[in-house]
Amino acid sequence: MFVNITIPNWSDFAHFVPEAIMFGAFLLALMGDVIVRGRKPVVPFLITLLGALAALYYSFASPPVGDAGVLGSLVMIDSFAGFFRIVFSFVAVVTILFSWSSEEIMGSTREHKGEYYALIALMTGGMMVMAEARDLVMLFMSMELVALTSYVMAGYMRNSLRSTEASLKYVIFGAVSSGIMLFGMSLLFGMTGQMTFVGIRDALVANPVNDLSMLVVLIMIMAGFGYKIAMVPFHFWCPDVYEGAPTPVSAFFSVGPKAAGFALMIRFFFTVFQPIVDTIDWPLMIAILSAVTMTYGNIVAVKQTNVKRLLAYSSIAHVGYLLMGFLLLTPGGLQAILFYLLVYAVMNLGAFMFVSAINNSIKSEELSDYAGLGFRAPWASVMMFIFLVSLVGLPPAAGFIGKLYLFTEVLREGWYWLAIVGVLNSVISLFYYMQIARAMYFEKVPEDAPAVKIAPLHYVTMALLAVPTLILGLYWSEFKAIADQAIAGF
Amino acid sequence: MTFVTDSILSWVTFLPLAGALLILLFARKDNIARLIAMGVAVADFILSLHLWFHFDNANAADQFTELVPWLANGKINYSMGLDGVSLLLVLLTTFLGPLVILSTWSAIKHRVAESMAFLLFLQTAMIGTFLARDMLLFYVFWEAMLIPMYFIIGIWGGERRIYAAVKLFIYTMAGSLLMLVAILYMYSQAGTMSLDGFMSLNIPAEQQMWLFLAFTLAFAIKVPLFPFHTWLPDAHVEAPTAGSVILAGILLKMGTYGMLRFSIPLFPSAAIEFGPWFAVLAVIGIIYGALVAMVQKDVKKLVAYSSVSHLGFVVLGLFSLTAAGVAGGIYQMLAHGLSTGALFLLVGVIYERRHTRLISDFGGLAHQMPVYASIFLFVTLASIGLPGLCGFAGEFMVLFGSFSSTLLPHAKLLVILSSTGVILGAIYMLWMYQRVFLGKLANEANQSLKDMSLREIFVLLPILIFIIVLGILPGPFLEKIEPSIDRLLTPVLELRQETPADHHITIPHTNESHDSQTEMEIH
Amino acid sequence: MGDMVFYLFALMTVLSGFFVVFSKNIVHAGFSLMFTLFGVAGLFAMLGADFLAITQTMVYIGGVLVLVLFVVMMTRIPAQNLPKSSFNRKIPAGIFSVLIFAIVFKVIGGTEWNVLPVDAPEATISMIGQKLLTEFIFPFEYASIVLLLAMIGAAILIRERKIDDDEEVQS
Repeated sequence: MFVNITIPNWSDFAHFVPEAIMFGAFLLALMGDVIVRGRKPVVPFLITLLGALAALYYSFASPPVGDAGVLGSLVMIDSFAGFFRIVFSFVAVVTILFSWSSEEIMGSTREHKGEYYALIALMTGGMMVMAEARDLVMLFMSMELVALTSYVMAGYMRNSLRSTEASLKYVIFGAVSSGIMLFGMSLLFGMTGQMTFVGIRDALVANPVNDLSMLVVLIMIMAGFGYKIAMVPFHFWCPDVYEGAPTPVSAFFSVGPKAAGFALMIRFFFTVFQPIVDTIDWPLMIAILSAVTMTYGNIVAVKQTNVKRLLAYSSIAHVGYLLMGFLLLTPGGLQAILFYLLVYAVMNLGAFMFVSAINNSIKSEELSDYAGLGFRAPWASVMMFIFLVSLVGLPPAAGFIGKLYLFTEVLREGWYWLAIVGVLNSVISLFYYMQIARAMYFEKVPEDAPAVKIAPLHYVTMALLAVPTLILGLYWSEFKAIADQAIAGF
Repeated sequence: MTFVTDSILSWVTFLPLAGALLILLFARKDNIARLIAMGVAVADFILSLHLWFHFDNANAADQFTELVPWLANGKINYSMGLDGVSLLLVLLTTFLGPLVILSTWSAIKHRVAESMAFLLFLQTAMIGTFLARDMLLFYVFWEAMLIPMYFIIGIWGGERRIYAAVKLFIYTMAGSLLMLVAILYMYSQAGTMSLDGFMSLNIPAEQQMWLFLAFTLAFAIKVPLFPFHTWLPDAHVEAPTAGSVILAGILLKMGTYGMLRFSIPLFPSAAIEFGPWFAVLAVIGIIYGALVAMVQKDVKKLVAYSSVSHLGFVVLGLFSLTAAGVAGGIYQMLAHGLSTGALFLLVGVIYERRHTRLISDFGGLAHQMPVYASIFLFVTLASIGLPGLCGFAGEFMVLFGSFSSTLLPHAKLLVILSSTGVILGAIYMLWMYQRVFLGKLANEANQSLKDMSLREIFVLLPILIFIIVLGILPGPFLEKIEPSIDRLLTPVLELRQETPADHHITIPHTNESHDSQTEMEIH
Repeated sequence: MGDMVFYLFALMTVLSGFFVVFSKNIVHAGFSLMFTLFGVAGLFAMLGADFLAITQTMVYIGGVLVLVLFVVMMTRIPAQNLPKSSFNRKIPAGIFSVLIFAIVFKVIGGTEWNVLPVDAPEATISMIGQKLLTEFIFPFEYASIVLLLAMIGAAILIRERKIDDDEEVQS
């Protein structure tokens, strides 16, 4: 009757301080919102902000446990997870700070302002767990938590009838893709009889499975991840949801869950498929996906007149760049991905924040309304220009360094055509990013242009992002070392 | 002062950047911004004179070197150095800097502080490009040039400025990204970004081909070599005078400088094999540029196309792969920087008064503006290469060097063809001069024109002096660059001596290449 | 005997599944869904997963399905107003489905599965309980957060929206 069981080490829970803080902040914020009712949800804001700051502190302070699993080997807190804890809590801090002055979130017509902060905290905790999962069960559950949270956020924080459609699309696509992924996972379990990534890998090395089955399983699991990171052809929801949701939410979506998806994807594929990468056409598949994703995102972005939608498509293109590091599942490539994720988080968040800050005051996201913004809001526009330069990948901004590492890895592995495709894509992206710069600086300020007033908090948050964007472009050794160490911990 | 002279290159490079920040942060009034910019530019010129006087002519290697570990455990360094070639180009940059700023005094009236900041920022990037001895550092400066240029054209340019700015940006970016791929490839092979590390790589010939093409394409777009020149007329016509002067005076030299510094020494066998093709393109550019310049109605566009023609000589000289040809190319770079810079300044002078540049709007200006007409004539003569002025020595050396080149097939034919460019140059420049300045003062709008002001004369005077100095005293300049040129050509010459048999195979054979060459000219 | 029962359950699952998809009447579709779920529960039971079989019956048939039917009956959608999918959509969908079926069939048929020996059936409930509170304690706790979120999320989404909705209708 009694099976042989291992009693878990209960003190292991102590390793989950940042996650616990975020989940705790979620609950406290919800309760606080009910107890203290006011015009503005001060309590949830403060609780989640302090929580995110504390999580950021503990992400640095609490050391990774190392190779051994924690609490029964389903999750693992290594330096890789530690890296993503830092990224996610930073993103959360910035988003929460920014949202406080955002009309879209805090405007008078908006309800559930308190829940917004609670959900951000919850999602941050969920993303951290995603980066820690090392077992199929946790893989699925952590992905579902983040997905469910984003459905809720996209579902009720919407601006128009059109975005209702977007959020429905989001849910349906999400359900289908996670269903496909689950099916792939069950096939994988059937082949190996294992649930942990390491166990699956060992079983696959010991008893190789035929190529076709392996490929089908790969594609199915890729569908789940592809949806999460908005990779072509699983990207359809992305522009609609980003456009429909309030901009701070889009900013958070475009950075947080995407990075979390990459984290889980890296851990899963690197652990499971790295030894057998040569037996399947993995590099070719990833190379094609990467090329198609970046080309699609960039080409469609060129035609956009709505800045937010433009940024949404450009974020698809960035997924294409990121996938370049995934080619041969070499540590070098993955380190490049991690570093680029860090850079991408900073610069993309910044660009979205600018759009939101401007929208606050002129109530528009149309490119044509950005005319002369460089002179109507000089400091904010300068920061936006830094973000744009970085997104293009021009020196001396951080994006250049991120791309530098990715391209170097691609070339080292001998995929020259992919590097050329990536470079040509950068040229396309230059064109549309510079459309924004062009509107801001080269076009005359219209006579009837409304005055642009940017909240002090928005200046602070944008500066919080612009400064690292520049610094990472000139001196990045320390940060690259953190990314390198994260992969070395595997 | 030792803390300055110890790291003199960094001082020369970053002083303008500091000035730019100073202006952005503190200059509230237009004139203060102008004064700060002027002061900084003059100070930078004075600093750079230190380089001229302390330069060791006999030393071919980089001098005043600086090396600070930057990133990736010494694989990427902040590495600066200066040889003769860099020296002259840096001096040209710092020399034109204050003049350009002075020329904007009345031309730029809105957003003055920003324009000054961009000009100074651009100067930092340009000087840095000439001095960087680490490929990443070089690339950073190289790309950093684009951003201020984009804004200078886009904000202060003419009617179609946005189109021109975007075109310039995308063209040059496309080329330089290909170069980036090549740099990264070599980085992954060499494990270091230092130029010396790249030099010591032994790259197989077939890989050299691709890398050479990637590098040279980026540079050819910048030069611009025919058929990559289409961005140039747009950019020149739309740019404000200051932008045109910098563009013609220095930015175009980046391309030829890059060919000399990187394409030829890094990939000697590819340079021998493909250099002739670029030389052919250069000759096509010489003739094409001259012919197109001849039919222009707009003075500024005419000068722009004449740049295509003049830069063709430089490229021809470089790919002759002889010491004389390369030296002539560099000399021509200096001369073109001065004479074309001066021409753009002069066009700016009249444009400021009349807001038109069409040749047909003028005629007989010599009566109304005698000083202007004489200075213009002087510069025109320099531009067409009158002996005794700066344009002559460079062109002559290029033609002489190419004529004696053994690596360039059909060198003699190319030289003959390109010397027709000299003649065409004289025709279009003098014809333009005749139509603008001679004859009757027909157009009434021109009858109240004022002659050049003292400030405008003062802007041009230093250039005029140096046009003469370069024309009659090439010695001091050439002796600075000769050892460096020998060093840059060493890989090519070594390769030729080592494998004389190969060399015959690698260059296109007589009959074949003759056919294809004439074919290309027909196109 | 075991095979017979298996095929019975399998047939029930698949056939009623077809019926769910193709039925024009939504109430009928709901009821056939019950048979699908029941068939799956039977398959679980045959595999010795007694706990799963019971959970499947209780949660899906007893809970989810009843709710679905409630909703269907309360909303009163006229049968003829169901959205019709046009013919030229059905063809690619059909081809795609057959293709996927063929691939999955080939994968399942062509793979060497990791098969466990059949033991005598044994009650698994206590085993699952012990596993959940020891080895799988983390996902167990995590599931509670997921469920909490689902609850709160549902509450947020359902709650009536006043101002926003008016604007939406106008726009």
